[in-house]
Amino acid sequence: MNRRKFLKGTATLVALFGPSRWLVAGAQQSAQVPGVEEVQDLKNLGKSLKEVLGIGFDQLTPSEKVRINAPKIAESGANVPVEIEADLPPSEVKALHCFVDKNPFPHIFEASFGPKAAATYFATRIRIAETAPIRAVLVTKDGKYLLASHVTRVTVGGCG
Amino acid sequence: MGLILIRVSPRKPKKGETVKLSIVVRHPMEPGTRRDDEGKLIPAKYINELEVTQNGERVALVKPSRGVSANPLFAFKIKAEPGEITVTYKDTAGESGKKVYKLKVAE
Repeated sequence: MNRRKFLKGTATLVALFGPSRWLVAGAQQSAQVPGVEEVQDLKNLGKSLKEVLGIGFDQLTPSEKVRINAPKIAESGANVPVEIEADLPPSEVKALHCFVDKNPFPHIFEASFGPKAAATYFATRIRIAETAPIRAVLVTKDGKYLLASHVTRVTVGGCG
Repeated sequence: MGLILIRVSPRKPKKGETVKLSIVVRHPMEPGTRRDDEGKLIPAKYINELEVTQNGERVALVKPSRGVSANPLFAFKIKAEPGEITVTYKDTAGESGKKVYKLKVAE
């Protein structure tokens, strides 16, 4: 093999495998955070919903008015920052609940707002046992149950 | 026990400005699922009620469960007005804590 051929060959190899390797890495990165449907546990969540709210999962309405702000990947599940906010004045909110599908105790907290709350906003840090959706359920005063979901991938669980 | 830290940001708000109120309580928040070195379950002991008021009126009432982290943080949004912010909490063992924070605002 002469030098020219060798260089050409190497260039072809780089052209062929270089970018594709980056593509694969990119695909892996996005595959690291699974979709809600892939990691949800409606049975475990449903039991907790019935216990706490007395309703089933199908009675929750997914809504863009409620947002969960949390990391996509958390190194430790023992301490995951979660921020929940809603485009509804706190005076229209009866309660805000948070659940994590696969936790041994899925109900994380309930919060309600008083006259001095300036926004429907609550932030805390929660435990996540394994990669699962975080659910925010906002109960409005006119009896609606608004749902937001957010998957956080955890590398080390936070309940053991 | 139960040191409570209270912080507003921005630190010197203007009157009427919306500020973030962050509260950190030093508490183990034992979920009752962890085991000690001998493999025995550590009994659950967590804050199950925390109330925040501003000048005597409620900002929020939080009922945390086992899933809230140790040394929990609770953050809210309030309007800056001069006066007192009071935080009280109770845990499942019946222990409680209280802290009053004086909020100063720029006119």
